[in-house]
Amino acid sequence: MKPLLFINLFLLAFTINGQNTIKGNVRDPGGEAVIGANVYLLDTYDGATTDIEGNFNFETFETGSQTLIVSFIGFHEYQKELTIGRDEELQISLKEKIDELNAVVISAGSFNASDEAKKVIMKSVDVVTTAGATADIAGALNTLPGTQTVGETGRLFVRGGDGYETKTFIDGMVVHNEYSPSAPNTPSRSRFSPFIFKGTSFSTGGYSAEYGQALSSALILDSKDVAAITRSDISLMSVGADVAHTHVWDRSSFSGKVSYSNLTPYFELMKQRLKWDKAPEEWMGNFAYRKEAGNSGLLKLYGNFSTATLDLFQEEIGDPTLTYPVGIDNDYSYLNAVYRDAINAKWAVKLGIADTRSFQKSMEGDNGIENELTGNHVKAVLLYTPSDRINLQAGGEVLRTENVQKYLADTSTLRQSYSRNIMSSHIETEGYISKDLVIRAGGRFEFNSLNKATNVSPRLSLAIRAGEHGQVSFAHGRFYQSAPDQYLFLEPNLDQERSTHWITNYQWSTGRRTFRAEAYRKTYDHLVKGTSTDLRNTGDGYATGFDLWWRDGDTFDGLDYWISYSFLDTERDYRDYPGRYTPGFASKHNLSVVFKKWIERITSQVGATYTFSTPRAYTDLNMEGFQQARTPSFHDLSVNISYLMNSQVIVHALVNNVLGVNNVFGYEYAGQPDGDGIYARRAITPAAKRFFFIGVFITLSKVKSINQLPNL
Amino acid sequence: MKNLIFTLIGCLMSGGLLAGNGQYEAAMGKNIPAMFAASSTEELTKIVNQFERIGDAEGDKWEPYYYASFGYIRLMQFTEDAATKDQYLDKAMNMIEKGEQVNPNESELESLRGYVHMMRLTVDPATRGQQYSGLAFNSFNKAVSLNPDNPRAVFLLGQMQLGTAQFFGGGDGGSCETFRKASTLFENDNDENPFAPSWGKSAVEEALKGCEN
Repeated sequence: MKPLLFINLFLLAFTINGQNTIKGNVRDPGGEAVIGANVYLLDTYDGATTDIEGNFNFETFETGSQTLIVSFIGFHEYQKELTIGRDEELQISLKEKIDELNAVVISAGSFNASDEAKKVIMKSVDVVTTAGATADIAGALNTLPGTQTVGETGRLFVRGGDGYETKTFIDGMVVHNEYSPSAPNTPSRSRFSPFIFKGTSFSTGGYSAEYGQALSSALILDSKDVAAITRSDISLMSVGADVAHTHVWDRSSFSGKVSYSNLTPYFELMKQRLKWDKAPEEWMGNFAYRKEAGNSGLLKLYGNFSTATLDLFQEEIGDPTLTYPVGIDNDYSYLNAVYRDAINAKWAVKLGIADTRSFQKSMEGDNGIENELTGNHVKAVLLYTPSDRINLQAGGEVLRTENVQKYLADTSTLRQSYSRNIMSSHIETEGYISKDLVIRAGGRFEFNSLNKATNVSPRLSLAIRAGEHGQVSFAHGRFYQSAPDQYLFLEPNLDQERSTHWITNYQWSTGRRTFRAEAYRKTYDHLVKGTSTDLRNTGDGYATGFDLWWRDGDTFDGLDYWISYSFLDTERDYRDYPGRYTPGFASKHNLSVVFKKWIERITSQVGATYTFSTPRAYTDLNMEGFQQARTPSFHDLSVNISYLMNSQVIVHALVNNVLGVNNVFGYEYAGQPDGDGIYARRAITPAAKRFFFIGVFITLSKVKSINQLPNL
Repeated sequence: MKNLIFTLIGCLMSGGLLAGNGQYEAAMGKNIPAMFAASSTEELTKIVNQFERIGDAEGDKWEPYYYASFGYIRLMQFTEDAATKDQYLDKAMNMIEKGEQVNPNESELESLRGYVHMMRLTVDPATRGQQYSGLAFNSFNKAVSLNPDNPRAVFLLGQMQLGTAQFFGGGDGGSCETFRKASTLFENDNDENPFAPSWGKSAVEEALKGCEN
């Protein structure tokens, strides 16, 4: 009997322990069926995949209380405690993850190029493969809408803003004097090679409260993390050479690069407008050290050091037979250290320190200017991300600038200086109401020790979905910037200059096609006005316009192109202007057309860029009036080719201004009229009609496919 | 009588234990061939979901995650949409990371990581070519150094060499030598672990045909 009883008991246990069915339906917040979701009991094999109607149904031997998990790509994991055997039909609604692929992003006033982000309209490699840009960051960004061609400077002029109104930040830290020195009225290049950045965010207005001291534009550069591959690179170029090495350890890497450039051989070969005594020569060293620490910490150290000289003979305006020597010596160093780490799943911290030192001596005949600048920046930012829908950041920073200028004349020296501390804090939050609506609001508070004033800069932007592939963004903000150096030397307690931006943007994007249209209104006030003896913040101005951008990498096989058009209407009453006039750096219409094509047969990428801008205003001293004359229009067609000889050697060549157009950027006038009462003048033109470049880039690495293409 | 009871209980218990093991073996035995044979998104989704459940439930086995990841790489090839492809590859990478939590220096998982990089490259060769070809080579080399006898790591390395050579206009880029090496390794590829990856033999024979001309 007894055995039978036991067997019966076991049978009973089996029935209690028998199969139960778990079934239900999974939907997204919009009520649509979620197909392919994984529905299962935690730590068991029991589960199912939702079918085309979102239904699931599975059997389990588990009993009692169990955890049901529902997971699917793009949705938050769903968890529910279940008591098995209740035989209910489960109705499950998954919450969508907010991520860059499905959510709207704020695009007003912002162009982002990135290696990592998937939904960007530019890639880092675009910055360096654009013809005409000569691998210069500013050069590439100048083919985007919102910029004006100001060929004699090489700088970024954004929406009626002067060159100094664009500020550069590396990993959030301010950079001073970011351009290498160049001869008067010739374009300068950015000191920072685009190769070291994984992301470039170019703002044409309305940018985040984290950044300040820029009236028009912030160029935010994100440096690369720990390198993956040990490699050495050698570049031989018509203008110099460089050697670089990257060494990779387990969780750290070091990259160093030494560059030498000397334009003497090139200038010997190619006729130049300028009479060079000593063509530009520069030594530059760069290093980057990255180390991962703990679970989530990352330390980045970056340094850039250079020394440059150039000497030439400048012709006297009106009498080219008379010349006087012009020379520039420049020593520069930039160092920054940035550390970021997560404190826990929700809190993170970012700490940074930067130091810029720049010494420049510029001589013109017997007179000269010696400028010594020291800039220090310390910053701490705390980030709070309680969910994927909302984040909050708050930070504080101190920006110290010591600037000493000496005017050297044969008989005397005049010394002027200022020392400025800008203490600021910011707070900003970005919240997704849904994946179709995001709002970012923040403010920046600044105290400037020179004018002893506190300024408040509110910032607000939002983006809302408009159709399946479209979105509308809006941005508004107020921006302050300390008065330009040359005025602070004369009048240190000048107020900060101020601008207010209103931007609205429509963006449509699908596959590799993007269309953008953006309209803006920017007003300026508190601009420095007057002459050296009487400087006040009474100047003002405005810039109104719109930009159009079309990029298409899908329609034609292997061909990628973009078209940028900017319309700008701007006037200012500032500096020594006798009223409201259009400044000389502004042009009403700017157009850029950029082509890039990969040609398999010759393993080469070829590119062409056409740039056009309408006349710029200048003051003709021999006529009545102010800013009353116009330069000719500007045209440039530049081409480049990168030939991948094999997996480790690339040959890169480019020609700027292929058509040989005689571009005139403006005119310089003699200080005094001649005997007939006429002011002699000289056109400001490029240093040579065309610019040619050829370079061979060799990579040595155990990993044979690595070459320097992303660097070109 | 007591003996009988104990015997019965003992039998049931060992049966239970066997059932535990049997469950893993049965599930893996069924799903591995099914994953390679699946020809639709629906089928593959079901299978990768099962592999992920098996991996999570077992907790000490990397193989289910390996096949889940492989399944996601296959899934990625069923869609044309670049963003969806990337999502599948994110999942594939996620599975590799889960597997590595169980077995940190597994050559098979590292080879698969290289495979994911290789697939990332194909989504947008023009802008991703450089970055991901470097990463793929890096992973394949690392996988070979973790286990020089892993024929799949060697075979995938050969594929990458061939692809690179073709891109640069010709030659085999040393791939034929690598394929021959992989072929030899396949001869001796008999892991005692019945669920260890074993694919690739016919693929390498196919690749070697290209080396004859």
